[in-house]
Amino acid sequence: MRLNKLAYILLLLVSIQGFSQKNLYSSLTIPDSLRQAANAVIRLNETNISIESQRELTIIQKRIVTVLNEKGNFAVEAYSGYDKYFKIKKIEAKVYDKTGNEIKKFRKKDFVDHSAVDGGTLYSDSRVLFMNYTPIAYPYTVEFLCEVETSSTASIPSWRPLNYYYVSVVKDVYSLKDNANLGLRFKEKNLDKFNVQKTNTPTSLNYTLENTKLIKPEVLSPSFAEFTPQVLVAVENFHFYGVDGKAKNWLEFGNWINNSLLAGRDIVTEETKEHIIKITSGIEDPIERAKKVFEYVQNNTRYISVQVGIGGVQPIPALEVDQLKYGDCKGLTNYTQSLLKLADVSSYYTIVQAGSQNRVDLEEDFASLAQGNHIILAIPDDDDILWLDCTSQIHPFNFIGDFTDNRNVLVIKPDSSEIVKTKIYPDSLNYQSTLADIKLNSDGSIEAKIERGTKGTQYDSRFPLERQADKDIIEYYKEHWGYVNNLEVAKYSFDNDKSKIEFKEFINIQANNYASLNGDRLLFKPNAFNKNTFIPDRYRNRKRSLDIQRGYLDEDSFTFIIPEGYQIEALPNNVSIKNKFGEYKFEMITNEKTISYHRKLLIKNGKYPSNEYNEYRDFRKKIAKGDNLKIVLKSVK
Amino acid sequence: MLKKIQFLLCMCIVQCSFSQEVEFGKISKEELLEKSYSKDESANAVVLYKNKNTYFNSSSGVVSLVTQVHERIKIYNKEGFDYATKTINLYKSRSDKERVSKIKAYTYNLEGSKIVKTELDKDQIFDNEYSYNYDQVKFTLPNVKEGSVIEFKYDIKSPFYWNIDEYRFQYDIPIKKLEAQIRTPKGFKFNQIQKGYIRFHPSQTQKTDHRLGMTVDILTYTLADVPALKEENLVNNINNYRAGVMFELVSIEFTGQKPKYFSKTWGDVAKTIGNTDDYKKQLDKTKSFDETLDDVIADKLDNVEKMKSIFKYVKDNINWNGIDGKYFYNGIKKTLKEKKGNVADINLTLVAMLRYAGLNANPLVISTKENLVPFFPTVDRLNYVLAYVVINNKQYFLDATDEFSDINLLPIKDYNGEGILVNNNKMVWKKVGIKRPEPAIGQYVISANLSEEGAIEGSLKSRFKNHNAYKFRQSFKDADLDAFITEREKVFENIEISNYEAKNTDDYNGYVSESFEFYKESGADVIDNKIYIQPLLFLKLVENPFKLDKREYPIDFGHPLEDHYIVNITIPEGYTLESSPKPIVVKIPNNLGEFKYLPKVVGNKILLSAVFEIKDEIMYADSYLFLKEFFNQIINKEAEQIVLTKV
Repeated sequence: MRLNKLAYILLLLVSIQGFSQKNLYSSLTIPDSLRQAANAVIRLNETNISIESQRELTIIQKRIVTVLNEKGNFAVEAYSGYDKYFKIKKIEAKVYDKTGNEIKKFRKKDFVDHSAVDGGTLYSDSRVLFMNYTPIAYPYTVEFLCEVETSSTASIPSWRPLNYYYVSVVKDVYSLKDNANLGLRFKEKNLDKFNVQKTNTPTSLNYTLENTKLIKPEVLSPSFAEFTPQVLVAVENFHFYGVDGKAKNWLEFGNWINNSLLAGRDIVTEETKEHIIKITSGIEDPIERAKKVFEYVQNNTRYISVQVGIGGVQPIPALEVDQLKYGDCKGLTNYTQSLLKLADVSSYYTIVQAGSQNRVDLEEDFASLAQGNHIILAIPDDDDILWLDCTSQIHPFNFIGDFTDNRNVLVIKPDSSEIVKTKIYPDSLNYQSTLADIKLNSDGSIEAKIERGTKGTQYDSRFPLERQADKDIIEYYKEHWGYVNNLEVAKYSFDNDKSKIEFKEFINIQANNYASLNGDRLLFKPNAFNKNTFIPDRYRNRKRSLDIQRGYLDEDSFTFIIPEGYQIEALPNNVSIKNKFGEYKFEMITNEKTISYHRKLLIKNGKYPSNEYNEYRDFRKKIAKGDNLKIVLKSVK
Repeated sequence: MLKKIQFLLCMCIVQCSFSQEVEFGKISKEELLEKSYSKDESANAVVLYKNKNTYFNSSSGVVSLVTQVHERIKIYNKEGFDYATKTINLYKSRSDKERVSKIKAYTYNLEGSKIVKTELDKDQIFDNEYSYNYDQVKFTLPNVKEGSVIEFKYDIKSPFYWNIDEYRFQYDIPIKKLEAQIRTPKGFKFNQIQKGYIRFHPSQTQKTDHRLGMTVDILTYTLADVPALKEENLVNNINNYRAGVMFELVSIEFTGQKPKYFSKTWGDVAKTIGNTDDYKKQLDKTKSFDETLDDVIADKLDNVEKMKSIFKYVKDNINWNGIDGKYFYNGIKKTLKEKKGNVADINLTLVAMLRYAGLNANPLVISTKENLVPFFPTVDRLNYVLAYVVINNKQYFLDATDEFSDINLLPIKDYNGEGILVNNNKMVWKKVGIKRPEPAIGQYVISANLSEEGAIEGSLKSRFKNHNAYKFRQSFKDADLDAFITEREKVFENIEISNYEAKNTDDYNGYVSESFEFYKESGADVIDNKIYIQPLLFLKLVENPFKLDKREYPIDFGHPLEDHYIVNITIPEGYTLESSPKPIVVKIPNNLGEFKYLPKVVGNKILLSAVFEIKDEIMYADSYLFLKEFFNQIINKEAEQIVLTKV
């Protein structure tokens, strides 16, 4: 009887456990609140990291994801990268149907082995094993187990439990043990706004996030990383692809990079050396010398990415670039720096997180190798710093555009590496001016001479035009002014002033039926060549703040010559709006023969609370409306 | 006499080709000095010379195919630098793989008046096991500048000798001179089919190949000044128009041996496919089908009803793994067990089930749009199979791989001309034209009120059929409704939508209907005491999809189009009509398209009915200007306003 009871309890325990385990495999047990509108639900994501020594780190991951529909397939993430220093010890997966019955099993040999080279890279030795599974019905659940071992302790996976839109998380657990006492450092971000539990000791970290509802995308909102929980992790004593290192802040980190990765890589051929000295000799101003060197680099090298082993962070020697005449961002930057040294110009290798979509800063108070994805070059100029992106063969000197502007970067200097902010392009200097003389004919057609100039970030989006083929340029204008039906480009020319960083376009166009004929009236929009009808999405309930990353200023002056026999019947009223988001105004000056339309649009960069989103939307609606207003001419006959 | 002429001709050819020979490494200063290509100033780079030479090799009884490539490219500017990187894809299958050897590459630059040559270093050649079926060898030339000439050569040795890759004679940069030669042993008969818009004629000769110890047939192609192939939008597959030659093994005939025939005619192709196990033995096996299938067709008396139920059953129960194919990947049994498979697994299972139900069902093997039009009888270049059913002399085409496809409503990629019918039972093997898609239909009914301030408020009820419904269902599937509505608001000129409803979106047949209420603050222009309104409101066309002045290749809309609009707008009190656009009917010659626009004002209502039709999904380049003008007239007409005046 006693035994029976014990057996019963044991049985009960087992079955409870069995149930709770199975619980996660069945899609039926997902709480409604997490399921609603979700494409996938992460039931459990458990990451266990243990550091055994400076050269020994293991990561064990267990991930159970229920996919609710086709759009959720990507969240399964049943894959792992690997290379010579990052080895997969164990990888397997099981697939369960809707109710939690196992329907398929993947062992290591069932995973597909594929090169992890992306399109822009010539060669990389990194590879990936991934589960290639065709779902037969939704929902389904995948349990993925993976164990990797690496000698690299320099880029420890950070904790980022939320990564995707439309994916809810039931539970995400991160634990890290520094058994080798390497000097654990970490930085927490955005934990307070989420349901996060933690228990940390000096040598271990434990974080758990539970029951977090999915996030929906919103336009003009902060990037995912800016508002979701994150813990960045690093150790003071680390190892990376055969090289030991020690750093607890950016200063020490910069020293490590300088001494271990960059030192001794600045030699070039005697021939190049002589050439550089020759083209820069006699020039007083170091900046002028730097321009010569940059021009030389732009005309003699090109960007080719090859990533092998530590090559992921170490540049190939300048000598190699000198011979091959190509390199990646690291190689080309180091090469340029080496040449500048020969020209007696100091410059600094600089780590940046590049990207036009979202500006990402390096963490000022937390140094780690995992940050940054691009290298640029800093040239000190009195109190200022000039910036060069050595991977571009066409950008002007000291023009980095929105790819690396206005963000914290690590400038590596001997014993004085520091975090610095890159160049800021102020709103009003991201400038475009459009002037047009437009002859309107009585059949509604127009002939126009347009002169357009761009500066700042607007320069960046226009100047590549001059290098395009004729057919593509014509097509560009036809698409760009797609709202001008029947637009034909009669001729065009460009003037790219690289020293002023200003691009000018001169375009002659014509278009039939620009004005629509309604009986004896002609209707047309005075804003012929810079219509801005962008209205951000309407949300019933905007959740996140409004984030306008970059501003700009447009000024337009269009003068219309009124066709013979017509007079103005109606003009739109002048508009002038000025608010915290910017400024929009236009006015019209008329005389018997002409109508001059002057427009100004300033959009400021800025961050605003979510409840001001609608106000901004209204502003854009007014702009769109204003840019669509029409003039009415009436035949006098 | 005759002999002498032949000799002279022969001499001439030899001499021509001799004098034209381009030697590896012999770069001229003229080539380096060249600043642009006179025949196409927009070219960023040009192929100065390309030679491709394919022949059979035999060593210790193992036959292989060797291809020697020699290419010389001039790079004019920085935009042309991409052509200094070469990727060689090498196919592999189990232990057999293509291999590349003897890679040699140089860059030539002019420094002063001196030609400087830089060699590609061996360790700058990267081998990569790219994927399960492909290895990749990649390299990029060193010391490349504007004006450089690069040159490389390599050999590829392939064990897949029956499969000669397409010879491409046109790239996205121009080619100045191209020579290609293919030598095949006399017993191997290959069909060679030319494609593209450029004409060329190979010379044919024979000689004895001493290494093989056989006579070989030699085809030599010589082309000069081949223009660049430029992409255009709405082209079914640009590679259909790329100049080149494709080869297909027709037969192997050796004296003293029984000849082996492959495909000579489409009938042969069908028979060859029909003779494979997949088509011969599997399709009439019914063991795999259990009572479930009997239940599916149980109470269905009519054959069409049976077909529909089986089609639905296969769609609901077997999922496509994303892989094309005309042969089984899993086979019927495993497909049914695992509930998934490639195209053949699904559609051949469908054929077998339809046959089991007593229907006249057969496989129809096709090449999909992304896989080129099959220009000649070919087995290898067919990549897909449909189920083809005839009931009471009516044709039905079925593809069960796609969630929203229906009987005679196939995914667009399937409509690529003709298919190859494999009817082993009736011994019919022939080409069958795929039934053209029905027009994609859209019906829109707006009723709205216009306010004195120019605001528009009302409702839109729409119905979509055929490929319009298909596309709607695809975009609606699994979408977050809020986000979907926001997207609709954007498409419809930023109206504000409420009470949104979409019906019949999960099914794959019948209409999809959509309805909502809308509000637009600036729906009409109010200027002085007049209101100007475009009666088609936010449904009007604003941009011409065809803006360029010229067109090279046919336009492929995928399917005919047919949109109907009915608009009913109540005008504010106290306003009367001042002027209204005139009704028009516009047609594209040869009845390829039609647009009717009939606005009127009756009492206090604006009434508009409009119809837009594209009647043929394919339009040739000679109709392009008509088509462009057709859209132009639509835009102009729809932009015209009804003018209302305050009384």
